[in-house]
Amino acid sequence: MFNNYKPMNHPLTNNYRLLLSYVLFWGVISITNIILQVFWYNVPLIYSLLDTGTNYVLYPLLGSSIWYSIRYNSLEEVSAGRLILFHFIAASILCAIWIYISFAIYKPFITEENSFLENGLPSKIFAGYLMYAIYLIFFYAVNYYQSLKEKIKKEAEYKTLLREAELQALKSQINPHFLFNSLNSISSLTVSDPEKAQEMVINLSTFMRYSLTHEQKEMVTFARELENIKLYLGIEKVRFGKKLNTEFVIDTNCLEAEIPNMILQPLFENAIKYGVYETTEQVTIKTICQCEGNILKITIVNDYDANSLQRKGEGIGLRNIRKRMQIIYSQPDLIKITDMKTSFEVQLIIPQKQPMS
Amino acid sequence: MSEKLQTLIIEDEELARNLLRSYLKDHPDIEIIGECENGFDGVKAINEKKPDLVFLDIQMPKITGFEMIELLDHKPQIIFTTAYDQYALKAFELNAVDYLLKPFSKERMQKAIDKVIHHIQHAETNIEKLEELSNFRPGEAYIDRVVVKDRHKIHIITVDKIRYIESLDDYVMIYTQDGRHMKQKTMKYFETYLDPKNFIRIHRSFIVQVDNIAEIQQYEKDSYVVILKDKDKTKLKVSKTGYKKIKDVLHF
Repeated sequence: MFNNYKPMNHPLTNNYRLLLSYVLFWGVISITNIILQVFWYNVPLIYSLLDTGTNYVLYPLLGSSIWYSIRYNSLEEVSAGRLILFHFIAASILCAIWIYISFAIYKPFITEENSFLENGLPSKIFAGYLMYAIYLIFFYAVNYYQSLKEKIKKEAEYKTLLREAELQALKSQINPHFLFNSLNSISSLTVSDPEKAQEMVINLSTFMRYSLTHEQKEMVTFARELENIKLYLGIEKVRFGKKLNTEFVIDTNCLEAEIPNMILQPLFENAIKYGVYETTEQVTIKTICQCEGNILKITIVNDYDANSLQRKGEGIGLRNIRKRMQIIYSQPDLIKITDMKTSFEVQLIIPQKQPMS
Repeated sequence: MSEKLQTLIIEDEELARNLLRSYLKDHPDIEIIGECENGFDGVKAINEKKPDLVFLDIQMPKITGFEMIELLDHKPQIIFTTAYDQYALKAFELNAVDYLLKPFSKERMQKAIDKVIHHIQHAETNIEKLEELSNFRPGEAYIDRVVVKDRHKIHIITVDKIRYIESLDDYVMIYTQDGRHMKQKTMKYFETYLDPKNFIRIHRSFIVQVDNIAEIQQYEKDSYVVILKDKDKTKLKVSKTGYKKIKDVLHF
């Protein structure tokens, strides 16, 4: 459900404490090395400094760039063979640079009688590759840890948002205006048409039950969601009579598609609020569903009176849907809004795991 | 009561109208003289038929029940009906005008009618209370439209069309892009309910839309005029405090 998280910034420049630990770590190693070499092996101080400088200061400086080699080669996405080849080449380049610079620094100090620095070449190459490997493990660990942290954070955020969205949907479904007006319609029908009153009580109950039940699953079939919408529009139709006209153009192949539950109702509520409430003419709400490969497209179009109050930007309902879609599918722009001055169109694009035919 | 109350029903939903009609059908004190489906027809019917009593829905297309009140020449007794509107309910709490919450019972409706009959017998009208109600803006803090009436036509002016407003004793003159309209409201009302980010009271007699200001010129020492963006280059006086307000809004 989530894209693999790729931190863009280098962890050392990004995290002040990590940088400090890194510097301290190599500082302690360097000092220990100098003390050992000078007092135990009796290496002259100047050579010890050169050795330490190239091994434990220069390498850590160059080595920090290994981050970028793992940054673009995630373990999950690149095959093992390519990964090993890539890192072998990268390690070789790094070692070559490191040794070249090291010997450029050594050069003035290499003399006939002291070959301490020169003799270290084979072990230095070996050390270069070894350190590369250690760095690799270290950075992969850091990367993994950061992605994990980010994922946990994102997941928590997603859960809160989902809860909020559910709450919001709940609120809009038991919108008091809708509920009391429907009850008033029923009250009227009990006098004029008791049978229809009963039918409406049942429809209202079914609709409320769907909305009030806490769905464990966040995804439902499109068929289920559509059924609920038809119920909702049916209730509103009793209220608004001829003023509200609905049209459905549904590709039956789409019915098994999965969509987030309760994502449609706020859209229809908006269509009624801005279309039907504000005009005296008949308003048609048209719902068109198509599936194209892995995509389910739901388009809701409603006429509105161009003279009535204009919508001021994106209302809270649309904003919540946009947010929820973005979190679920990690893709922007899954909701498209087009104001055509006499009609208003909202299009939802819902990616599917499997293609539908 | 010797004569039946001439009663009008203004309600956009058919079923709600049916219910009221059935409640009122055999009522000894009520005679239904008409029904309207929207606010426009409602204003016309009230002004023409001059009913004694109106059952008035608040949420209606085009203009709301509250906005309708501002347009009435004849002020009848009004019983409001509404399903749910927390702001409207607040408005009612502040007033003694009667209202019915949908769905309501026949008994509850009878109580409201009794109250109206009592008002009429004691020669009390709820006009003042109605005026108060029409000054109450439910919902949003700022208005986004103004309704006005010229002779027989009702205009709905969205606030972005207002260029400026001039005070004329008990009235104001609202200048829009297409003309001007008189309205019985105070400058204070517009100063309060128009968004101060867009409308500035630049003078005791003028409220101007910020986007409509082309220039601000010094007129004398300490006094200024604004020049508006129109072909006549209308000049409006700016008071000292008005100048300060313009400065605050335009940040100069």
